[in-house]
Amino acid sequence: MEVTLESLNNWQVIKVNGQIDSKTVGELREFIDSELKQGVAVALELTAVPFMSSAGLRTLLTLQRKTSDMGVDLALIGVGSEIADTMKVTGFYQFFTIYDSLQNLPQGT
Amino acid sequence: MDLERIDNIPTDTIAGFRVRPGKPLPFGVSSVPGGLNFSVYTSAGTACTLVLFSRSESAPLGEIKVPDHYRIGDVYSIVVYDLDYEDLEYGFKIDGPFDPVQGHRFNPDNILMDPYARVMSGRDEWGVEPDWSKPYQYRSRVAFDDFDWEGDTPLEINDADLVIYELHVRSFTKSDSSGVKFKGTYAGIAEKIPYLKSLGVNAVELMPIFEFDEFENSRTHPDTGEKLFNYWGYSTVAFFAPKAGFAATGKFGMQVDEFKQLVKKLHQEGIEIILDVVFNHTAEGNERGPSISFKGLDNKIYYMLTPEGYYFNFSGTGNTLNCNNPVVRNLVLDCLRYWASEYHIDGFRFDLASILGRDPWGAPLSNPPLLEALAFDPILSSCKLIAEAWDAGGLYQVGTFPAFGRWSEWNGKYRDTARRYLKGDSDQVGEMAQRVQGSPDLYQWNGRSPATSINFITCHDGFTLADLVSFNEKHNEANGENNCDGGDDNHSWNCGAEGWTEDEGIKALRTRQSMNALSMLLTSRGTPMLLMGDEFGRSQHGNNNAYCLDSPISWVDWTLLTSNKLLFDYTQALVNFRHQHPCLRINRFDHPGSSHLPSCSFHGTSPWQVDWSAESRQLAWLMSCDKPDSKLMDAVYVATNTAHYATWFDLPSLPQGYGWHLCFNTGDASTPHHAPTTPYNEHGILVGERSVVIFSASPSET
Repeated sequence: MEVTLESLNNWQVIKVNGQIDSKTVGELREFIDSELKQGVAVALELTAVPFMSSAGLRTLLTLQRKTSDMGVDLALIGVGSEIADTMKVTGFYQFFTIYDSLQNLPQGT
Repeated sequence: MDLERIDNIPTDTIAGFRVRPGKPLPFGVSSVPGGLNFSVYTSAGTACTLVLFSRSESAPLGEIKVPDHYRIGDVYSIVVYDLDYEDLEYGFKIDGPFDPVQGHRFNPDNILMDPYARVMSGRDEWGVEPDWSKPYQYRSRVAFDDFDWEGDTPLEINDADLVIYELHVRSFTKSDSSGVKFKGTYAGIAEKIPYLKSLGVNAVELMPIFEFDEFENSRTHPDTGEKLFNYWGYSTVAFFAPKAGFAATGKFGMQVDEFKQLVKKLHQEGIEIILDVVFNHTAEGNERGPSISFKGLDNKIYYMLTPEGYYFNFSGTGNTLNCNNPVVRNLVLDCLRYWASEYHIDGFRFDLASILGRDPWGAPLSNPPLLEALAFDPILSSCKLIAEAWDAGGLYQVGTFPAFGRWSEWNGKYRDTARRYLKGDSDQVGEMAQRVQGSPDLYQWNGRSPATSINFITCHDGFTLADLVSFNEKHNEANGENNCDGGDDNHSWNCGAEGWTEDEGIKALRTRQSMNALSMLLTSRGTPMLLMGDEFGRSQHGNNNAYCLDSPISWVDWTLLTSNKLLFDYTQALVNFRHQHPCLRINRFDHPGSSHLPSCSFHGTSPWQVDWSAESRQLAWLMSCDKPDSKLMDAVYVATNTAHYATWFDLPSLPQGYGWHLCFNTGDASTPHHAPTTPYNEHGILVGERSVVIFSASPSET
């Protein structure tokens, strides 16, 4: 798994490449803890994530709580259909704003 | 100030794992800072080894022999640090004597599942043939148990106000005709919530969802070659774990979240969830069965054994859990508390509950400690506790089940009486009158209430409603047991032809008989229970025991919802009618009635006069109360005629200012259900052959 950060239309975009599971999730958490800027909306680009385990989904929810505390928006981008299905039936989906691609991401505030 | 605890530091390293002595409670796995606490009980075991695996691997990640000084009493506990919770699977090896006559069956090489495991892997996807060469089949895992309930709690609907809908998770939506995305799963049920809501039921009762193995005793049908499964799952492997094979996300190990999401969504729509739980026996069978957990942990404690060390078989399935041993009793309590608190379950139906009242040698106890403990448990205090008040060892306790003021019962006598009366048997009117009132003959003398009685005409055991009116005999050939399995006392009548027919008269009579049955059920006091699909004529083609069939025989065929729309509409209207009329849901035997009429009175073809003789097949009941929110009276009159000829019933007169409205008439084949807009001006009604009419009283328009 690789994680990178870039800026786009007032969003800080975290791009993840590779599967998010209990083996890799620690790296993502550390990245979020150390790299995120205060006060800027967060977009998590997941187009290149083929699978997310239970621990991965829980990290998304932790991030959602964190951005909510920070008072900034959180968007998930390019969630694969199987991951989206899993999120829907397990109750994770409803907590997120989801866009299919970065092109459709509105201007951040 | 956030002080770091000084006991949060490993004290030893064993087999490369950093560990320290654990805490004996709670049993099973619990999370501590930096590690996991494992705790397991064995009274006759002499040594314990914790075996750790990475997910799905055959070879262990490591084995940690728990030092003897980590044991307190009969409990081994150990904290292991630096584990990957999500990837971890674990089990125990317990050493001790192998001496079956003395009740001991220890095998230090066998890896045992944690009886407190909250997630089990090894059967992650339904029907996928397991790799039997793996040494450890049913593998304990760690649950997150951190679901975001968003304020959800159990609904605590009054027992008397419930309309229960019994369903099998897989059968309910497995058919393509269900139209759901996640067929045969918890998520599939969630997709059908709008349907359940439209039907009007406010509780679903799920057939077993504790982890079981559909491959237990699986076999091939000798003639058809069809695979036969342990389909219903009345054989528990892991009491604390929801069945992964029923979850769309079971292959990802997310069944816990998926099941909780189902509960949350049901609750959001005002629907309770009741679980059918099986504590009378386990999947370990008798002395020839596998050693999965209890047998190897402490056989003598967990099972009822004969003096020679064989298994008592009051369950009819090989072994009997020793529920009134204090240790086993606590396991049952811990389990139900867990489901009530962690999963927000609203109630439990106990399979073969009479076994839970037997002592360790099988004799019925007068005050069974387990049943008492459940009845008075602080966490379970608002959970429904429903007994199947009999067992396979000959104990039949409908009406005498030790209830401690809390337990209700599947009323098998309601089912049998209603079926006999429905098909026109003689000598049924008197008993039917008892059943309609909530069976005071069974429940009034001991201070219980009408809602003690779970009224039903059909359930998973036995014929579906459509089959009850289409078959005289069971037809269980598909089960591969030469039609020898399943009950023979069905009290069914095929209406003139056995099974499928093109005779329009017979088909019309079957529809009418189905409507008659539902009419009686939903206008009786007590708590009614419907079987999935009966509201639109689901058939199992005469199979009255489809316990092994993962096939269209078991699966609900949703196309019937269209073809039997009239029956569905009728049932929906009846359920709604029940919700609208509090007089049908009175939960006291000594209720004074309304200002004008008794709480429940019986009538015949003439008001206030019932022919109680053996040849009578006409019975009417009138229920009444004052509406809680006004001075108005609520009254419902139900006239039933199970004779093969039409009969005139004079209507009871109503007090000044009220008039009867005809709401249902099963004898009117085209419009059996009427919107009660216009008053009924006749003084009586001709009730057709084998028909039911239902009136409600409304204030006259002046």
